[in-house]
Amino acid sequence: MLEVNSIDVYYGDFQALWAVSLKVYEGELVSLIGANCAGKSTIVETISGLLIPAAGSVIFNGVRLDKEPTHHIVKLGISLSPQERGIFPAMSILENLEVGAFTPKSRNLRNDSFKLVYELFPILKSRKKQAAGTLSGGEQQMLAIGRALMSKPKLLMLDEPSMGLAPLIVTAIFEVIQQINESGVSILLVEQNVPAALGLASRAYIVENGRIGGQGDAKSLLDDEKVKDAYLGTG
Amino acid sequence: MTVELVAQTIVNGIHVGALYGLVAVGLSLIFGVMKILNIAHGEFLMVGGYVAFWVFDLYDTDPFLSLPLVAIAMFLLGAGSYKLLFSGLAKFHEESKMENSLLVGFGLFLVFPQITRMLWTTDERAITPAYSGGSLPILGVRLAYVPLGALLVALVVILALHLLLTKTYFGKSVRATTQNWKSAKLAGINVERTYLITFGLGVAIAGVAGVFVGLIHAINPDIGIGWTLKALIVVVLAGIGSIGGAFFAGLILGVVEAVGAIFMGPYTVALGLVIFLLIMIFRPRGLFGKA
Repeated sequence: MLEVNSIDVYYGDFQALWAVSLKVYEGELVSLIGANCAGKSTIVETISGLLIPAAGSVIFNGVRLDKEPTHHIVKLGISLSPQERGIFPAMSILENLEVGAFTPKSRNLRNDSFKLVYELFPILKSRKKQAAGTLSGGEQQMLAIGRALMSKPKLLMLDEPSMGLAPLIVTAIFEVIQQINESGVSILLVEQNVPAALGLASRAYIVENGRIGGQGDAKSLLDDEKVKDAYLGTG
Repeated sequence: MTVELVAQTIVNGIHVGALYGLVAVGLSLIFGVMKILNIAHGEFLMVGGYVAFWVFDLYDTDPFLSLPLVAIAMFLLGAGSYKLLFSGLAKFHEESKMENSLLVGFGLFLVFPQITRMLWTTDERAITPAYSGGSLPILGVRLAYVPLGALLVALVVILALHLLLTKTYFGKSVRATTQNWKSAKLAGINVERTYLITFGLGVAIAGVAGVFVGLIHAINPDIGIGWTLKALIVVVLAGIGSIGGAFFAGLILGVVEAVGAIFMGPYTVALGLVIFLLIMIFRPRGLFGKA
C-alpha cells in the first residue's frame, strides 16, 4: 500500500533522514518508535508532502507522492494528525471537523464522517460549538484524530498521540486507534511510548539518528534485548 | 449652533472613518492570513480610483455602477501581483517572509505611481457625477450623498466579507490557514490558492475604497503611501484578526481626527501617529485583537 524507498531529507544543510525505507500493507497497524529527534516526525511529514525528499521515492497504491503537494496527497487518501495536534484554536469543534472534510469527495460524505467521529469520541459531539482552543489536551488530541478521519483516509498517520497526556486518557485514545484500524483503515503510528505502541502494532520500525535501526514483529521487538535495554528500561 | 457643529463634525468623521476602515480591512485580511505586510496597499487603492475615473470619464458610467467592475479588475490585478511577486515568499519562515514582503511592497510603491503618471499625468483627478455636491439636511446636519453612499457600500462589503469568512467552506479554509497553515494543508486545503484569492480580495477592497477617495476627495499618483499609513494606524489600533474590529477602529480614527481638527488645525495629522504610539506602548495587541 505505502512504500517509502530509501529517502534522504534535509532541513537546509542539515540532513535529517538517511536512506529511510519502510512499508505499510493494507489494513496494517505499523509503528515508528525511537527517541526524541530521531526523525520519526520527519518521516511522516515527508510522506504527507510537507517536506520534499532529496533522494528516494514515496509510492502509495502505485502513485508516486514525493513531488505532489500536500492537498493532493490528502485527496489520494493519506491523512496526518500532526505532532502537538495543530488544531484551529479560534474555530469551533464543528468547524475544525468541517475543515477536515475539505476535499470534494470527503465533503460529500461528511455526514457519515461526522457520525463516525462522534461515535468514536462522544465528547466532541457534546461540545461541538465550543472553541477548540478551550479544550483540554486529551480532547484536543481526540479532535485532531477526528479531523484527520474526516478526509476519509485509507492510511491514517498519527504523530505522537500520547504526548503530554495522562495515562488513563492515553489508554482510551489507543483503544480508539485500535477500533479505527479494525474498521479497515491502515495506520502508521509514531510513538515515544514504546511499550504501548508495540502492544498495539503488528510490526514496528526503530528510528535512530535519521536511519532505520531495526524492524520486526511488535511481539519479537518487545522481547528483543536491545529494545528492552534502550526503550523499555527493563534490560 | 455648537450642538450642530459637534454633530456635523462627528458625521464628517464617520464618513472619513468608513474609508479608513475599508482600506484597513483589506490590509488586515492580507496580513492576518499570509503574514505579508503589503506596503503597496495604498497604491492599489490609487489604481482603483483611476480605473473608476477612467470608466467615468470615457464611458460616462456612474461610479456606483462601475464599482463591481472596479472590484473585479482590482481582484485580478491583486491576484496577478501575488502570483508574480509575492508567491515566491511563501516558502520562507514567518519573519523573513515579512521582511521580504516589505521589499516587494516598496518596489510596487515605486512602480505603480510611475506607471500612473505615464497613463494619467500628475494632475489631480476627481470623479464628479451630477449629484456629487448634494446633501440631505437632517436636523441641521448635512448628510452629503456621496459619503453616505460610501458608508453604506462599506457596511455591505464588511458584512459580505464577514459572511464569506464564517459561513462558506472557502471562508473556513481562510480562517484555518490563518490559524495553522500546516494543519490547513494536512486537511487538504490548497493553501497557495487560498493565499492567491485572499490577496485578490484584499486588493479589491482597497480598489473599492479608491473609488470613494476619487469621489469624495481627489486622486493623484502619489496618494497611495498616505493611505497605506492610515491603514497601518487603523490595523494597529484594532489589532490583527478582527474584520469588524478593523472597520470600527477606522471609524474611531475618523471621528478623532475630525474632532481634533477643530482644536489642532493643521496638526491633526499627528493625532493618528500619537494614537499609534500610545497603542504600541499600552496595548500592543490592539483594541480588538486576540492576545
